[in-house]
Amino acid sequence: MTFKVSRSGNPSFTGIHPLLADILRCAVEDPWERCPEGSLRLLPSPGSDEELCGDWEDHVKPGLRLQFETSRDVVAGDLQKLRQSQSKNASWSLEIPKDHRDEWLSTLNAIRIALAAEHGFGEGELSRDGIPDLSTERGIALMRVNFYAFVQECLIRSMDDGDPVSEKNDQAN
Amino acid sequence: MMMANPDLLESPETELSEQLDTPWLVIVHNDPVNLMSYVAMVFQRVFGWARERSEQHMMEVHTKGRSVVWSGGREQAELYVQQLHGFLLLATLERSPR
Repeated sequence: MTFKVSRSGNPSFTGIHPLLADILRCAVEDPWERCPEGSLRLLPSPGSDEELCGDWEDHVKPGLRLQFETSRDVVAGDLQKLRQSQSKNASWSLEIPKDHRDEWLSTLNAIRIALAAEHGFGEGELSRDGIPDLSTERGIALMRVNFYAFVQECLIRSMDDGDPVSEKNDQAN
Repeated sequence: MMMANPDLLESPETELSEQLDTPWLVIVHNDPVNLMSYVAMVFQRVFGWARERSEQHMMEVHTKGRSVVWSGGREQAELYVQQLHGFLLLATLERSPR
């Protein structure tokens, strides 16, 4: 899988293995359904002041949740444009409109948080090098978290640059 | 006729004045999921900081578990926390200890 920024400034992934394309499609899974316990982390309290927490619950959280759901809809729309090549390896490609990067970062973050909450991943496990045990559900979840992190890093780097013609060749294998 | 009790008159005013003067702190807490580059990017966006300052605070969050990223009036502090939650950062506000 190769990442580059197109001439129009859009982040672009090519050579996406079919398995990774499937994992990418799962990024729009509802994080609240995935892990209801994770919702405390997705919409945390603003502190310990009871009155403030009550106001937050009533006035801030609903708006934030709507914002996350709108982002997820945008990403779901972009994922409809995943294209499969006619080559032998039948890999996929995806160009993300540069104006949608925030929605992607938000959506990927939300599902990573939900997966981490569901499986209790800590800092050590998340930053460990190496391939997780893919024979277990937990290992597959860890791979998803790491793969989405790779996509996030690519998107952030494309924002850093602001140079539409620069090409990066980050690889995920 | 009731006599004004200086304690009763002065104490609430002093307390209110102190409450209004005490700044609120916006604190970002470490969490294992958010990428370091992402946290730094969010600081740049929300506070308009240069990359270097954003990375300093991001490193403080990472190494010390938390960083005070802003202090000032409560209303603005709430707005910042709301924005940080919008980026899925763990942020809280608390009154500055005097």
